[in-house]
This record gives sequence, structure tokens and C-alpha cells, in this order.
Amino acid sequence: MVVAGAVFFFFLIFPFFPLSSFAMATMIQFFMFSIYGMGWNTIGGYGGQVDLGKAQYVGIGAYTTGVMLIHWDVPFWASMPVGMAIAVMWSFIIGYPLFRLKGHYFAIATIATSLVLKDLFTVWPFVGAARGLEISPIQFTPPDFLHLIFKEDIYYYYVILGFFFTGIVYMNWFRKSRLGYQLRCIKDNEDVARSLGINVHWAKIKTYAIATAFVSMVGSFHVCYIKVIEPVDIMSLDLSILIALMAMLGGAGSLWGPIIGAAVLIPFKSYLKEWLGAAAGLAGIDLILYSVIIMLVSAFEPRGIWGIVEKARRRKRD
Amino acid sequence: MDILFGSIVAGVLLGMVIALVALGLTIIFGVMDIVNFAHGEFLMVGMYAGLLSAKATGVDPLLTLPVAAVVGFLLGALCYVGFIKFLLRGPMVAQLLGTFGLMLFLRNLALLIFGSSDRTVHHGIIVGKSFDIGMGIIVPATKLAAAGLSVIAFAAVWLLMNRTKIGKALTATALNAQAARYMGIPTEKMNTLAWGIGGASVTVAGALIVNFWAVNPFMGLLFTMIAFAVVALGGFGSVPGAFFAGLVVGLIMEIPGFWDFFTYTFDWQWMADVPMTSLKYMWIYVAYFVIMVVRPRGLFGWKQ
Repeated sequence: MVVAGAVFFFFLIFPFFPLSSFAMATMIQFFMFSIYGMGWNTIGGYGGQVDLGKAQYVGIGAYTTGVMLIHWDVPFWASMPVGMAIAVMWSFIIGYPLFRLKGHYFAIATIATSLVLKDLFTVWPFVGAARGLEISPIQFTPPDFLHLIFKEDIYYYYVILGFFFTGIVYMNWFRKSRLGYQLRCIKDNEDVARSLGINVHWAKIKTYAIATAFVSMVGSFHVCYIKVIEPVDIMSLDLSILIALMAMLGGAGSLWGPIIGAAVLIPFKSYLKEWLGAAAGLAGIDLILYSVIIMLVSAFEPRGIWGIVEKARRRKRD
Repeated sequence: MDILFGSIVAGVLLGMVIALVALGLTIIFGVMDIVNFAHGEFLMVGMYAGLLSAKATGVDPLLTLPVAAVVGFLLGALCYVGFIKFLLRGPMVAQLLGTFGLMLFLRNLALLIFGSSDRTVHHGIIVGKSFDIGMGIIVPATKLAAAGLSVIAFAAVWLLMNRTKIGKALTATALNAQAARYMGIPTEKMNTLAWGIGGASVTVAGALIVNFWAVNPFMGLLFTMIAFAVVALGGFGSVPGAFFAGLVVGLIMEIPGFWDFFTYTFDWQWMADVPMTSLKYMWIYVAYFVIMVVRPRGLFGWKQ
């Protein structure tokens, strides 16, 4: 508890340290991916169904906010909920048939739907087809809190920090809520859960919707922060895997897991690119190292870092 | 009319090669219940193997198939012994992400070694030649040869699985690994063999495909998804299922041709505006989804 408090305090005062803008950008990325991971964790960790298609909802959130901003000048705080609503609606539509599947089949199906959406967005002229959307800050006068357009990163930092805290508070509530317990029961033994009267199918769909909401929220933030989106990046399978990987590395099914995972991988990814240089990045050396980490973790410590922590704790108790 | 027949012929020919691509996946799945997300990357390796051995020896690419087969067998066996074996102990999350890691690893290794530009085969006895089989349908000789050789390879694997002692041992492990073990069939060796054969069949398919499809390090994912759709339709674990499902998926990949045919026949302007060619792979993903929801067992599947 004390550690958590100290860390939070550190987060609050972080921007006042004279660090590079690169460090600030990395921290913002860290918060974004923590929230992505937390969302994934609801269905992937507590729910036990590995979802590898979360990127499509990032895209829905981002595109909704982007399109509403560009075409109709809608403020972020209005377009973000709209994005979430659309994403959640879509998640219900495909969730209903999707959750008839389990295991590998489910995972592949999530990839399939994500790719379908990506292909559709790549040819849809309204959202810019393959070129995507671009927000030029010239039309707005930063700092614009309504549309979330700022010149300095520090504003973005506090906004995403706010989302981050909200996310943690929500996740803490979630895992102790009725749905949270239902999910854990389902994960342990689905048939027993059903015999206890839990509507398994609905529980999973609802959780999937929650994960979607988290992810689309950050997607909306993403478009205001990065200001450029293309379907091939924002709805990519690579992003989906990254999200799942972070949660798994840190420890799927725990509150702090996704955050730890993001804390390890995001700085690693950013600084690796810096050190190895852009040319190596093009050649994918950072990804090679990345993939080796994925393989090692999967093969030898699938419960993630938090799993190791818990093991150590248990040993201390005994 | 010739658009229609042309598309059908193209679809069937492509389908036979696709069936071979999916064959490896279904064998591996049948024997040990693991889904190899790096399957498309194995295909890519096969394509590069075929390309490079043809360039190095100056021989026609179709004759370098044995090289591709050996490379594939070693790749598959090595992946199993060096990595997959450990994944099997862990939870399913780990298995999925593990083979993903393998996918990323192979993809970026290829990027490092070969660069990101497309490469195709330029020399060869039959490259650039085509047959006119009447009704205005032109078939490239490379596609015809690839389809024919795929069928032969398919038949060879089928014979291996059903008529040889080792193949029967493999099938036994697929049906019930524990019972097979009691009978004296060593599971570990069978697993390695399954990965070897699976790897070999997909790399041979790759060496065939590279004759008419350009290779670059990023193409793996598309073919992985294609293979999944085929295996889902044919039934996870079923060898004949993979063949028929392959034909169906091959036809699905020719949907732009069918769309064009309907556009001309019915002359509805809106049809011409749909960019169906850019969307042609989308139908494969849709097909996978629909199959898994409607008939998860596939056509001939016996494993759930």
C-alpha cells in the first residue's frame, strides 16, 4: 500500500523533473498501454479468454473522435463517449456469436474480426481509406481543453494520468464486483459456474464490452495526442498482440499485472529503438529481441512477473 | 462468361496449392492440439528457400522442391524440440503468445536477412508461359504445375499417414496420445515428426507458390489466416478435409473475378464501385468466423 502511494505521488510530480521530452512521451505511452492492458485483463486475465483483436476497438474509438473532430468540430469529451458506445455496440454484435468459441478457436476468431474491420476501414473513403486521418493543430488554438489539442505534452500527461487513476479504481471495484467473481468462477470451471446459475455467455459478453470501453477510450485519446492515424497501424494485429502480451508479461488476472507489464515493455521498446537507431528499427532488430522475450516468457513463466511476485510472497509466508 | 470459368479454374488451381499449405497445420493440430501461428512464416521460409536454391544452382525452381522440403522438415522439428515442447506444459495463453513470438521472430529475422522488398522468380523452364484451354481462359504454366505438384505432394502425405507404419503411429498419437504411448509409440518422437512433416509440406507449398506470388517478409500472416480458414472448414486434424476445404478457399480468393462477372451480367453500377479486389482477403476471415460459429467441426473434423 505504501509502495503504491509513493509511486502515485511520483507519477503526480513526474512532469516537473527536468527530463527529456522523450521520457515524457514514454510515460504517456506507458499510461496508455497500462489502460489498454487493464481493459484486456478483464476478459483475457480474469475471464481467461485470450482476446487478440482488441486493436479494432482502439480504431473505432480513434476514428470516431477523429472524424467527429474533423467534420463536425465535436469536442473530445463528447466524441469519446460516442466512440465508446459504437465500440461497445460492435462488441455486442460480434460478441454474441464469438463467445460460442473457446481457446484457440476464440483467439483466431478475434483476429479474424479485427482484420475484417481493418480491411473495411482501409477502403472506406469517409474515414480516409488507406491514408487515414490527420488532425492539423492549426485550426485549433492550443491549449484547447475541449478538443484536447495541446502543444505541450504536459497537458496530455495529466489527462492520461487521470484516465489511468480512473482505470485502476474501476478495476479494483470490478474484481470485487459480482461480475468479477462470476468471471473467476467461470475461468476455474465453466460447467460448475453454469450449474450455479451463472449465465456464462452473458457474463463473458458483458466483460468483453468493458474491455472494449477501456480500449476505445484510449483510442480516442490517441488520435488527439498523435494526431495522425492509419488503419494499418491502429487496427493492426501487432497492436492487439502487444496489448495481450503486456498484460500477460506482467501477470494476467491480477490488478497490477498489466501495469507492471507496460512498465517493463514500454520503456524497453522505446529505449531499444533509441539505442539501436532508426536503421535497426527498420530492420526489426528491436522486434527480434521483443519476440525472443515473448517466447521465453511464454515457455518458462507464463504467469508473468506478478506470478513470480506471488510465488515469492507465498514462500515468505511458509 | 469466360470471366466466370476463368475465375473458377484459377480458384481451383490456387485451391490445390492452398490445401497443401493448410495440410501441415492440420497435421500438427491433429497430433498435438497446438495451433501454430507461425505457420505462414514457415511458408515464407519455404518461398525464400525455393527462390534462393533456384538462384544458387541456376536450376528451375520446380526442381528445387526437395531442398525446400528438407529445410521445412528441419525447421519444424527444430522449432518443436527447441521451443514448442516447453510451451505445451503451460496454459493456453502462453501457447498462443508463444507461437506469436515465433511468428514475429521469423518475420523480423527474414526482414533483417532479405530486406523488405518483394521478390519473385524470373528464370525457369516454364516461367512466363501459359496455356490456352479454350473458352478464352488462359492458365499460367506455373500455376498449373504448382497445382499438379501440390496434388502429388498431398497424395504422398496421405499415403504416408495411412499406409506406412510410421504414419499409422502418427495417426494413433493424434487420436489418443496416452493410449498410443501405452502401445509403445513414443509421443515425443511423434510430436517432432508431426512438426517435421508439417513444416516440410508447407515449405514445399511455399517453393511452389513463389513461382507466381512475390515473397516479402510480411506475407506470413495472410497465409496463416488462410490456412486457419481451410483447416476450420475441413475440420481440424482431417487430411482429406484440408484438400476439399482448400479448393473452397481457393475459390473464395477468386471472389473479385466472380464479382466482376456478376457486375457485367447484371449491369448494376453500384457493383462496379465496390473495391472488391482490395477486400478479397476479408472474405476468408469472414468465412472462418462463419464456419466456426455455424459448424465448428468443419466438414470432416473429428476433433473439437
